[in-house]
Amino acid sequence: MQAAASPATSSIPALQADAVSKAFVSGHLRTQVLDNLSLRIEASELTLISGPSGCGKSTLLAILSGLQKVDSGRVRALGSELGQLDMRALERFRLEHTGFVFQGFNLFPALSAFEQVELPLNHMGLSRDDARERARRSLDEVGLSPRMKLRPSELSGGEKQRVAIARALAKEPELLFADEPTSALDAANGQMIIDILHRIARTHGTTVLCVSHDPRLVVHADRVLSMEDGRILSDRRNQTPVIDSKVVPP
Amino acid sequence: MVALARKTLIYEWRRFLPAMLAVGFAGLLQLLQIALVLGIFGSTSVYITGSSADVWVGYPGTQSVGQGRSISAGVESRILMDPAVKRVEPYIWVDGDWRGPHETGGVSVFVSGIDPSPNGLMFSKVLPAALRARLAAPDAVIVDRSVLGQLGVGIGQIATINGHQVTVVGISTGLRALGGINVLCSLDTARHLDSDPTDIGPTYLVAKLYNPAQADAVAARLRGDSAFGPYTTWSASDFASRSVRYWMFDTGAGAGVLFLAGIVFLVGAAITSQTLIAAVNGSVREYATLNALGVGVAALRRVVLEQAFWVGALGLLGASVLGILLLLLARSQDVPVVLNLPAALACITLVMGLAAISGLAAMRSLRRADPATLLR
Repeated sequence: MQAAASPATSSIPALQADAVSKAFVSGHLRTQVLDNLSLRIEASELTLISGPSGCGKSTLLAILSGLQKVDSGRVRALGSELGQLDMRALERFRLEHTGFVFQGFNLFPALSAFEQVELPLNHMGLSRDDARERARRSLDEVGLSPRMKLRPSELSGGEKQRVAIARALAKEPELLFADEPTSALDAANGQMIIDILHRIARTHGTTVLCVSHDPRLVVHADRVLSMEDGRILSDRRNQTPVIDSKVVPP
Repeated sequence: MVALARKTLIYEWRRFLPAMLAVGFAGLLQLLQIALVLGIFGSTSVYITGSSADVWVGYPGTQSVGQGRSISAGVESRILMDPAVKRVEPYIWVDGDWRGPHETGGVSVFVSGIDPSPNGLMFSKVLPAALRARLAAPDAVIVDRSVLGQLGVGIGQIATINGHQVTVVGISTGLRALGGINVLCSLDTARHLDSDPTDIGPTYLVAKLYNPAQADAVAARLRGDSAFGPYTTWSASDFASRSVRYWMFDTGAGAGVLFLAGIVFLVGAAITSQTLIAAVNGSVREYATLNALGVGVAALRRVVLEQAFWVGALGLLGASVLGILLLLLARSQDVPVVLNLPAALACITLVMGLAAISGLAAMRSLRRADPATLLR
């Protein structure tokens, strides 16, 4: 379960989509969301997919993370062909290899920050002590150690999103998917989230795939893909992405 | 393991309260209904359960205690011949028409003529020895506390039964009857009150055995002899359940109980499942997030089922506390209520079954917890 990929092995992509198409049918209306799209996402990088709403970027994220099936084409994640896995196998794959951060924080109102992070670990077959140790470490990494006994109602928006990141991070996933992680946050909190995501890619060797139309994110990403109408318009690399880690409290 | 189900139940108790109340009241209704039915129909066998006789002897085909016909007095010697029998005494049942000193009109009463001696078997468990001794006086009767108003008498007052004067010498408790009123008197008084010239012997003979455990065997071997005229025998427990069964099924009351149980179950399940479904819907995004993180649908279903279990258990707890208080209140008001272990178990099964069905219904709404919907 440990992050296996390192920058040296970047010749093998963490995620690969070949000629992927996806359409949604609503009544008589058929909307082509992804159109024959091919893509390689390298390991241990923070890749940003940006574009206007409705361009298909969230669908691309759902397909690359195994939450949705493709109409045609193939998706490989960490060497596994996702189209060939059944529902249980996909759940297993996600449990072992992926983390998710959503726009809404989706925290259980009844659980403390610590329990939110510990809960998915309980299902990974870790011992109680291991799960708690990981949860503690993960909350520490996002700077929430002092507030880990608090429930969501006692946390700010930024803190909630950091709990959600800690929940994903504690699983020590090779793949971390983030959908508009900053759009519900103010500038300072958004900045902090961007920074944490970047640091996760750097220090843990995690492949971070982030979907956002937040322009603040662009300068922090290793690679920026622009999408429109289900196609990738541009693919740009930042040589030295900006890292500003002093925003995160110790 | 983080106890998601329990912590959510505690933190969001207001959300689950309607379900707990629905389960609790469904349980309470059921409990009181069963206790009342058992109490009311159990009172039809109080003649048997309130006495210490082990074997009953009566007219063949008798369906309930109140429907006995007289048997030959000679049967007594036949019963006494059996070496297992310790004591035999007659029991006379007379249907009477009561006229009280106040204006109550005619009241139908069941006169029980019993042996007033201190070691008498009939009603030995419900009639204190001092009260029983008072029956030895001629034309003395005892009536139940719960029917004093209906009979329009008090202690020491005079009334008539079938045109003969009787004196109320005592007041008993726990002798309420169904479809009439019990009046106790001595065997001699009962013979005096009996206006039916065809009654030539006692209605029943009741026997005490040396070993009560042999009741079934002794009842079986005393049966079938017709040298003294027609009679048959039952063990006391057989005859008691025969009487209760008669009232339960031949009066349609049993079907009524089952019908009401079904209605209570349906209404309770409808409310409970709706509440649980609303609770699941309220957390559907969180469940979907867990599923995105790889927590299986099976594990999420277990959370919902566990919540249903706790809702059932807490509802049951509330119903039990309230039920016991109400049963005590009913007892203090002479309302016949009885709760035995099978009935209590039936209530528990019904309530937990209701919670389980509701949990299964709520589990279906987990299908909406599709993580792909979080990415829109």
